[in-house]
Amino acid sequence: MGVFDYIRLGVLAVFGGPEMFSVLGVPISITLAMILFGFLLGIATGATPGLAGPVAMAISLPILISAFGFTPDALLPVMGFLIGVMKGATVGGAVPAILFNTPGTPDAFMTTLDGYPMARGGRAGKALRIAHFSSASGDTFSDVVLILCAPFLAILVESYLDLPEKTALLILSLAFISSVIGNSVGKGLISMGLGLFASFVGTGEDFYPRLSMGTQSLAGGFPVTTAVLGVLILGEVFKGIEDLRSERRSGAAPEPVMERGDQRLNRGDIGRLAPYIARSALIGTAIGALPGIGSTLAATLGYSLNRNRYERVKSTDDPAFGTGAPEGVAATEAANSSVSGANLIPVLSLGIPGNAAAVFLILAAESIGGFNPGPSVFRFSADTVNPELVIAFGLFTAMMLANLLNWTVGGVFMRSMGIMIRVPKHILLPIVLLLTLTAIYVQETRMEAMWFAIAFGVLGYFMRRLGMSPLPFVIAFLLGGKLEETARQAFAATGGDPFFLVTSPVAFAFIALSVGVIVFSLRRKKRAGA
Amino acid sequence: MRPRSITNHVLGIGCIAASLTAIFLWIPSDTSTGLVETVRRQVSVGDALAPTVAAGFVLAGGALVHHRDGTASAKTRVTPGNLRFLVVLLSILAVSHAVMRWAGPAAAGLVTEEGYRALRNTIPWKHIGFFLGGSLLVTGLISSVEGRVTVRSILIGALATLAMIAVYDLPFEDLLLPPNGDV
Repeated sequence: MGVFDYIRLGVLAVFGGPEMFSVLGVPISITLAMILFGFLLGIATGATPGLAGPVAMAISLPILISAFGFTPDALLPVMGFLIGVMKGATVGGAVPAILFNTPGTPDAFMTTLDGYPMARGGRAGKALRIAHFSSASGDTFSDVVLILCAPFLAILVESYLDLPEKTALLILSLAFISSVIGNSVGKGLISMGLGLFASFVGTGEDFYPRLSMGTQSLAGGFPVTTAVLGVLILGEVFKGIEDLRSERRSGAAPEPVMERGDQRLNRGDIGRLAPYIARSALIGTAIGALPGIGSTLAATLGYSLNRNRYERVKSTDDPAFGTGAPEGVAATEAANSSVSGANLIPVLSLGIPGNAAAVFLILAAESIGGFNPGPSVFRFSADTVNPELVIAFGLFTAMMLANLLNWTVGGVFMRSMGIMIRVPKHILLPIVLLLTLTAIYVQETRMEAMWFAIAFGVLGYFMRRLGMSPLPFVIAFLLGGKLEETARQAFAATGGDPFFLVTSPVAFAFIALSVGVIVFSLRRKKRAGA
Repeated sequence: MRPRSITNHVLGIGCIAASLTAIFLWIPSDTSTGLVETVRRQVSVGDALAPTVAAGFVLAGGALVHHRDGTASAKTRVTPGNLRFLVVLLSILAVSHAVMRWAGPAAAGLVTEEGYRALRNTIPWKHIGFFLGGSLLVTGLISSVEGRVTVRSILIGALATLAMIAVYDLPFEDLLLPPNGDV
């Protein structure tokens, strides 16, 4: 089996699956339909302030798994749906940011700076079109980079890295994630350490489940869904409800914006915006490829760097960044959207999730089975078919299809989603809370699991209140078992060498980088805080 | 110069104390193998090593927060108001959880002779606990934000819970809503 055979099989797996319905006699496969549903749901979720892609993914995952079952045939429809949500939410986040000065997702905050002034100036339609065009461009570029890079990186890892090097690479990823996220390296380390510790409860190689305090409840460990959904979703919901309680807003309807003049995006606009989109797409893709650095930082960096260029080249009549410059909307949206594809590079090539959306893709793969994201996926076997590689190319196909949907129906659907701002947040959040708890119960079928999730939710709430990012916790929780297993194997394979992490040059380099990234971040953040 | 942050001070000290307790008390007493094990002259990693390393990260992080994160902005601190909110939130969750768990069995015990276990797969019995507990949770939280209980919030709670029953339970025979997997 050659590369092109696998690509063909991947494409066929998406298009040739069981038929869901037909349009003008053309059969539409279930995977295709699920990508579309996920994409539309993602736009609606992104356009709703208080919701974000991960919430939709968390709530829909148990329903999807129940609908499609635990067989490898379920992988592409379920993961295609989640990919659709991930992409749709990024586009949708710009809608309330532009129309109502309220970012639908955190990474759309910078979009408000120029998008809302544009809308107030009667150019809401144009701002939305620019946001959509930039977002779709950045996303497509990022996906192309993913498809080209992930297999090569995976092959490189599988060919050159042995067990000690893989252990060191996992340590480097965790050190990187805990150092670069948030404003404090110390808090990042605490978050990561807690995630690792929680993942070790109730596990181990001995008959006695460690750290279980002799109780049956902890003997099986914390279910992944309780920790991930608790810290990521419930923590955010708890904080959101408290913020609403303290604000006690009247819920007054936002001031409607009126459109004046030509709202279309013409060739001249595209030519003028293209350099800004290209620069932001490069920045977003580079940042997205590093695990843990989110789209918010990409948007901030893309905006700042493009602002410097804009100030140099703009004419005196052009509005400055922050006062309704179309280039500002383009710079932000291209940067935050180009993170989503590149974020899957560490997931598919190393098995290391880089953001919350990637966490849910790994959760889906783990729950369904038959696909273990990591370097082993890209094993091009000549004699037999590697089913995981077919799924990987199926996922690439799903991503490109989601892009196609974005280019075709995405813009129209996005522009109709302004109505989502009217969903009252104080009604939405309690419903999301019950939905999340229900989703956890239907997966775990014990009330205890709901309490575990609530406890993790309280932890996530405190993390947010203390300015501690919950993402290192979640990623460390997911990688904890893998890290321990790889370290055990490496220790055994080196004959019990306690220095196995520093004897090989590559492993030593990874460990030195881990220390280096922590020290560098400490110095940088000290300077920033001074 | 900004004043030292009490929140970071407490967080740092708390993490240092908790991690030292874990490393020297909890982990040694609650794992059956040590950091490194030797069985028949084969050395292997014991079950205590990984959690000790994890606690070590918390210790290092706590020390860094205590010594370096001297100041915190007004947004990153825990106030008595935050703790009061948590008490309210957890109370609503506890009451609705209890209703969700026990309303069905209590109703079945009062009205029928066979008990809830025999009825937990039949409508309406299997939905009683989830409907009442879920409605209470949603209504309670909406009311806590609005500062009063309204007919509208009660209706929203009931309708949202019914919608969840329609989404999760009616189309799938193998999905169990709370508390039907426990009773």
